Amino acid sequence: MNQRYLIGIFEREEDILSATNASRLHGFVISDVYAPYAVHGLDKAIGLSPSRLPWVCFLLGLLGAALKVWFEFWTTGIDWPVNVGGKPWNSLPAFVPVTFEVMVFFAGVSTVIAFLFVSRLWPGARAPLADRGVTDNRFVLILEDTGPAFDQDRAREIFKKSNAVDIEERVETTR
Amino acid sequence: MEDRIASSVASGIIGVESNGNLAGRFSPDRDLRRVLYALGVAGGAAFVIGAAISALHAWRALLMSSFLLISFGLAATLFIAIQYVTGAAWCVAIRRVPEAISSVIPWAALGIAAVIIVKPDIYPWSAQPEMFSEAAWFKRLWLSQPFFTARTILYLLSWIIISRAIVRNSRLQDDTGDIAYTRKNIRLSALFVALFAVTFCLASFDWIMSLEPEWYSTIFAVYNFAGLFVGGLAAIIILTVWMDRLGPLRGILNREHLHDLGKLLFAFSTFWMYIWFSQYMLIWYTNFPEETVYYLRRIEGAWGTLFVLNMFLNWVVPFLALLPKATKRNPSALIKVAYVVVAGRILDLYLMIAAPFANGGPKIGIIELVMILGSLSLFLLIFIKAFRNANSFPTGDPFLAESRHYHR
Repeated sequence: MNQRYLIGIFEREEDILSATNASRLHGFVISDVYAPYAVHGLDKAIGLSPSRLPWVCFLLGLLGAALKVWFEFWTTGIDWPVNVGGKPWNSLPAFVPVTFEVMVFFAGVSTVIAFLFVSRLWPGARAPLADRGVTDNRFVLILEDTGPAFDQDRAREIFKKSNAVDIEERVETTR
Repeated sequence: MEDRIASSVASGIIGVESNGNLAGRFSPDRDLRRVLYALGVAGGAAFVIGAAISALHAWRALLMSSFLLISFGLAATLFIAIQYVTGAAWCVAIRRVPEAISSVIPWAALGIAAVIIVKPDIYPWSAQPEMFSEAAWFKRLWLSQPFFTARTILYLLSWIIISRAIVRNSRLQDDTGDIAYTRKNIRLSALFVALFAVTFCLASFDWIMSLEPEWYSTIFAVYNFAGLFVGGLAAIIILTVWMDRLGPLRGILNREHLHDLGKLLFAFSTFWMYIWFSQYMLIWYTNFPEETVYYLRRIEGAWGTLFVLNMFLNWVVPFLALLPKATKRNPSALIKVAYVVVAGRILDLYLMIAAPFANGGPKIGIIELVMILGSLSLFLLIFIKAFRNANSFPTGDPFLAESRHYHR
């Protein structure tokens, strides 16, 4: 099956923001937007729903902290008790720093991994570049051609109004 | 910084906006001011009566109230200074709020100076110097009346002079929009940040830690800084939301400003807990009697409840409440968290300042409560007066437009 796209390439942050906003307001289906860096307000312009990554971060952080507390109890209190300064085996304050570090480690690393998988960027994945410039100085807006309802002339007009430096039509073949 | 100002001027986002008429003057309800005056007078009366009945109690409460107010003022000045030094634009639209808060510094300084000069006897090293005749020569010199008083006056004067100068420059810029004022304030702010780091450390050692002169903790100043900043941020949030609700900042304050203030509150609340624990854990681990006495005093009997409550108000509640993005962006939710943190700040100071004097459990008397309420009322009156004396946002600041269109 073939999926057709209309691609607009821009050179300024303000242009990509205005083009994306105008496209969303007109009701076009925005396939994706590529930018060389995080552009403030782009998520709102695309109309993205809030990210669910914070939940991954929170729950995995909690899991990391819980596992670490259990592990410290088990090592210092049950499996190999060591007398440190006459403190009880299960001295909670001594566990806090490492628990904190492991919590941050779990939360941080798991969020990055979850992000990569959600973005389909697992190891070995081939990320198609809409334009070589998106890793450098260019911004790319991709609209989905939804069939007869897709008003290509209007889309091209929106792109031109926002100073698009290039407009292309592309076809992606999905097997 | 220079480049940024220049490029902003060139691209036209900068310059005096023609919205001087939008920046109206704030005039709050007269009844509100009457109530605040009454509470302030009641606080003063409570101090006078308390000083007659039980002098130590009243003077210690004065130290606590004055330190609470000066820490709001210092946190606000530091907040402004950090924005200038880092070239931050986001908070320019709401900068008149911390500017007005910083005007409490001279008044709170009077309270602290009164304690240090009139009633140094609340400090054991001053009341019973013979107990410390065996102490190291440096400690005896450091905790000697003339040196102590001279240091206090030096800290207070330097804070008053710099914070007043920053606010004056910011207000002068309103009429002309002259970028020279921004440059002047960047220099003053850099000076303030460096000077504050040293003077506030010493001040917290002097005014609070020396209430228990035989106990010491090298992280005590950092701990006090954390409390100062988290409490100050809460005060900034409360007053910003009030000024939005009462009118002067309506249409100026947006959710992005609140979101960032909320993030700062979240971060510094966690920083406070981190430093609290850093101090606690080393003392707990080492287990030296001369160090553990500080905590033993504060977990005994009913003190223990306050000791645990302190952690809940300053960290557990704000941490859990501010985790979701929605709380930080919702003014009525954010302001409630800020109220909790201010209550936590007062409790934290109470644990630091009142516990050394207690025989047995905490005795929170009428005098203390009325004085704290009175000092908060005076703080609001000073704030209202200062806020009324200027435009409600810095109309001449080069970054105003950037701050108002922030993330939009």
